[in-house]
Amino acid sequence: MNALLLSALMGVVMMFSGIVLKSKAAIRNIAIAGMLALLLVNILEMNGTVFLVIDSKGMIGFDRFALLFNSIIFFSTFLYLTLSARDMEKVGVNYAEYLALIFFILCGIALVSSFRSLIILFLGIEIISIPLYILTGSDKLNLKSNEASLKYFLLGSFSTGLMLMGIALIYGAKGTFYTSGINMVNGAISPLLIAGMLLLMFSMAFKVSVAPFHFWTPDVYDGAPTVFTSFMATIVKAGVFIAFIRLFDEGFASQQPKWKLIIAILTAATLLIGNITAVFQQSVKRMLAYSSIAQAGFMLLSVYAMSPDSKEGLILYAAAYCMATIGIFAVLIKMSDYTFDGFNGFAKQQPLLAAVTTIFLLSLAGIPLTAGFMAKFYMIKAAMYNSGLLWLPILALVMAAVSVSYYFRVIQAMYFRESSTPSTLTVTPAFRYTLVALAALVVLLGIFPNLLLAWLYF
Amino acid sequence: MNITQILVGSLSVITLFSALMVIISRNPVHSVLWLIVTFFSISGHYIVLNAQFLAIVNIIVYAGAIMVLFLFVIMLMNLNRETEPQKNKWLKLAGVLSGGSLLLVIVAALHTGDIKAMAQVKEGDIGLIGTLGKELFSTYVVPFEISSILFLSAMVGAVVIGKKE
Repeated sequence: MNALLLSALMGVVMMFSGIVLKSKAAIRNIAIAGMLALLLVNILEMNGTVFLVIDSKGMIGFDRFALLFNSIIFFSTFLYLTLSARDMEKVGVNYAEYLALIFFILCGIALVSSFRSLIILFLGIEIISIPLYILTGSDKLNLKSNEASLKYFLLGSFSTGLMLMGIALIYGAKGTFYTSGINMVNGAISPLLIAGMLLLMFSMAFKVSVAPFHFWTPDVYDGAPTVFTSFMATIVKAGVFIAFIRLFDEGFASQQPKWKLIIAILTAATLLIGNITAVFQQSVKRMLAYSSIAQAGFMLLSVYAMSPDSKEGLILYAAAYCMATIGIFAVLIKMSDYTFDGFNGFAKQQPLLAAVTTIFLLSLAGIPLTAGFMAKFYMIKAAMYNSGLLWLPILALVMAAVSVSYYFRVIQAMYFRESSTPSTLTVTPAFRYTLVALAALVVLLGIFPNLLLAWLYF
Repeated sequence: MNITQILVGSLSVITLFSALMVIISRNPVHSVLWLIVTFFSISGHYIVLNAQFLAIVNIIVYAGAIMVLFLFVIMLMNLNRETEPQKNKWLKLAGVLSGGSLLLVIVAALHTGDIKAMAQVKEGDIGLIGTLGKELFSTYVVPFEISSILFLSAMVGAVVIGKKE
């Protein structure tokens, strides 16, 4: 509850800071300080300090899992702001408003991570989506950004419509919005409930870009300003995933035989389409968009397995994926050429940046000693133990191997190709140190994943 | 067959007919006008269910504000038969198939499922403004307040998009 209130408050503060303050550096510093405060109050709540108790009639419930997840999200956003907030200035003039929208999105994520009622789920998803439509189109003079924003808005509102229809059908069948009430089995299962559940599943699948609903992802991620693509592809995606797993864990656990196979098929399709299409991309930005679809496939394994193991896995996966992708995007934003050739000879020009980028790419590919390996390991382990379908974990393993090919193309370009143009990259020392710290964290989590997971239990 | 049943029956026929006309008519302006008829007949349903507040809000917000905006946009875009996009016939077939399947699933679900609370014609007091207000500001006060964040973020967004650079 602390974080929920503070993030909404910070959004308002950022809004007004745009009027009062003229210096962009001051606005940025307020945002970063606010992010730290958000992280702090959330950790305080994990230790039992709640500043303001609000009786939500059981519609919002902050448990250990939600709070730890929020902490990861806030920490990732903190890193994101320290690395990339400077680059937001280039997008447009409304600097403070962009930051305000980011805080509102965080408020939405705090809601969807802890909902106990479908009303809160709906509100949270909308609070996440609407600012995103705007951030996507924030580069107003760029036609690609406009197109991406409009496309995202139209498809996104359509999927929101599907979600509302699903909630209405579920209410018709059960007479309640509470997930605990929906999960209760009394008498025969109403077909209305199943139809509503499917509609909800598909709209959530759209929001996290799972395979048959992924068509918007490459265009939107490619068209949006790169700073905001970084935010959308990592923090927002992980945030909606926790809503996905919570909905199916608490709301539809009793219907498991009904949805398990569908989720398995969605997972398989996402893994196949995401990984295989990513191989053929020429632009690194677009490749990362497809890679985010592929990684969504792995995260969906946790919804499929639905066990304590898989929840641990999702926590670890969210942390590993967010940190690595934010790191790569932070470097990519600085580049002038987004194609693979743009990375040619990068290791000679910027040896340190090339080295940390390599660590992030290795983590995304799931190479041992990085956080990505542990995350994939937990996911596949959970899927192996809790399923009748052995082909799904095997497919996931094969696809993890396929993913190596496109992540390593960047490494190959950086180390084994010669550049024809001199580097024009300028980075501050602070940027370098933060990136190195991020890479160190990725390696540390790969060796001791329990450093993070232990927070779930004590 | 009493007067209420006749009323509900005829309202339903009007709603379904005008909703069909929305998608059948070739001229976009006609579609919008039929949509207004649909909203009015749905408001009629609300009144029969003794939910006056919903009925009025439906007319003010949807038929009043949103549809006028729709009409303006469509008239400004000057859509006519020449500018109509030509769709691939396979795409049309796919649309019909998937839409038809969704219709089938939902109709089957509504047909087989038992609705928990049957509609209370005339005597129900759920839709009265007093009851609604009490619920909104007691049970649902937290979601109500949270929706203010949603509107605030939408407002910030509208300013960001609308402001001249």
